[in-house]
Amino acid sequence: MASLPPSLTRLIAALSHLPGVGPRSAERLALHLVQGEPGGVKELARAIVEARETVRNCSTCGALTETDPCELCRDDRRDRALICVVERPVDILLVEKAGVFRGRFHVLGGKLSPLNGVEPEDLRIAELERRVGPEGIREVILALPTDVEGDATCHYLAQRLREVGIQVTRLAHGLPAGSGLEYADELTLTRALEGRSSVL
Amino acid sequence: MHLAQLRLRDFRNYARLDVDLTPGFHLLLGGNAQGKTNILEAIYLLATLRSFRGVGGAQMIRHDHRGYFVGATVVGEGTHAVKMYWSPKERRLTLNGDPVRRLGDYLGVLRVVVFCTEDLQLVKGAAGQRRRFLNLLLAQTHPAYLTMLQRYARAVRSRNALLRQRPLDETALESFSREVVGTGTEITRLRHELIPRISPLARLAYRRISNDAEELKLEYRPSVRADFAAELARVRTRELNYRTTLVGPHRDDLDLTLDRKPASQFGSEGQKRSLAVALKMAQAEYVTGLRGAPPILLIDDVMGELDAKRRAGLLPLLERSHQASGQVFMTCTEENWPHELGRRLQRWEVVSGTLNRVADGAAAPA
Ligand SMILES: Nc1ncnc2c1ncn2[C@@H]1O[C@H](COP(=O)(O)OP(=O)(O)OP(=O)(O)O)[C@@H](O)[C@H]1O
Ligand SMILES: [Mg+2]
Ligand SMILES: [Zn+2]
Repeated sequence: MASLPPSLTRLIAALSHLPGVGPRSAERLALHLVQGEPGGVKELARAIVEARETVRNCSTCGALTETDPCELCRDDRRDRALICVVERPVDILLVEKAGVFRGRFHVLGGKLSPLNGVEPEDLRIAELERRVGPEGIREVILALPTDVEGDATCHYLAQRLREVGIQVTRLAHGLPAGSGLEYADELTLTRALEGRSSVL
Repeated sequence: MHLAQLRLRDFRNYARLDVDLTPGFHLLLGGNAQGKTNILEAIYLLATLRSFRGVGGAQMIRHDHRGYFVGATVVGEGTHAVKMYWSPKERRLTLNGDPVRRLGDYLGVLRVVVFCTEDLQLVKGAAGQRRRFLNLLLAQTHPAYLTMLQRYARAVRSRNALLRQRPLDETALESFSREVVGTGTEITRLRHELIPRISPLARLAYRRISNDAEELKLEYRPSVRADFAAELARVRTRELNYRTTLVGPHRDDLDLTLDRKPASQFGSEGQKRSLAVALKMAQAEYVTGLRGAPPILLIDDVMGELDAKRRAGLLPLLERSHQASGQVFMTCTEENWPHELGRRLQRWEVVSGTLNRVADGAAAPA
């Protein structure tokens, strides 16, 4: 039986390690690449290598950056007294898109998960504590997921940071803006009720 | 609520089944091992995503095939198409063509109550059986319950993982304890509210189907009686020894007593059987009362085990379901089919993985 050339097989194997790419799509991508225009493929290869070599994590906040410290950390117009803690680097982009937060960020790099073996030492918590003293931070805002691990991580951080005497807040659980009650699931509604605020 | 259509592919001993259904009473007749229970199992599976036989997905795939498919058209509040494919490698669940993201969105679409021989475990079995009964009932009637239960289970498992670690991380443990206490308290509260509502229904059902004058009582035995956080603190040293969460709704039970004596220890076989049926009838009545429409009833072999008096006790429930354009599926072997149900029923003959409509007016089996 005829088989694929070894280099093509290797390419398929490499692609199938990418997240969200199964064996089928790895094969489709590989066949597309080896039959495509050589210039385009070289360009793609160069872009991959270059991005990998220049992109790193900001040593202060953990964001993805080409310069260290990152642009956000160097921007003097941003409030040094406020720090927003997120789980992943991409979460920074989500908060930035809203365009209302004018403080700085801190990427935790995950959340506490005893079931997946993620312990406090695996997260950038010590780094956060180190920043809190010298940078004159007044408030730490936790913008973590609302699942079991996210909630527990919030509580954990609040306890650790209480020792250094800083205000710790977390994003309100509320209704999706601009939609009626019928679009909120019951747990969201329950929590929105718990976190209700006075109208006047 | 009723199924207008049922489709099976490589499910148990059905290679392929496409059948149109009407509301009303469906009698599935056939010899042993022909596939009567398998039909009920498929319907229950669509409703709850579980087998009432307590088995995993792989067992339901037709031997030597890759995966099973179960699909149905459900007519309730609106018409819904539900489809489910399962193989060891792939699971797909769609509602009206869209993948289901949150189970809470899906589970209310099709509501069923099953009566089967395994129900006896509700009375005889361990507490977990009765907790599962309460969970299903609350999931069918309280939209947020399932999410809460899943969160609780995850928080308890996380907490147990922390309790096994040395050295113990006190702060992390406290963070997960908080989640356990929060959702656990809410689960306990909902169960507290539920029991007094189903208890009179179960008592009435029991009286109707049993010949005895015994008084049936359902009593909730929560693991946590007062403040959950305080009770966790109280068992702390023991938890450190056992390395697991010792109190909480995952340790609840439901006491079933006849004249104040535990039914599991002192009840006769017939009493236990009647009690199990009464609990299921209470479930059906409760869901009907709350939702306005009766759930689909799946009755497997139970009739054969009940004497005429007990069978007659079940009839009002069946009739009511009938009148409200509900749907009932009942399996029977030829010998024990309930003749008192002679009117207006659709008979089906089940023969090795096929379903054949028995024409109206055809002679009833002797
Ligand atoms: N995964 C499977 N693949 C193929 N056949 C199966 C599978 N699981 C069970 N069966 C077959 O299905 C049949 C049993 O079906 P079912 O339990 O519905 O019988 P039944 O008609 O309810 O019988 P009874 O009257 O004894 O309860 C048996 O013949 C069994 O071999
Ligand atoms: Mg059977
Ligand atoms: Zn930075």
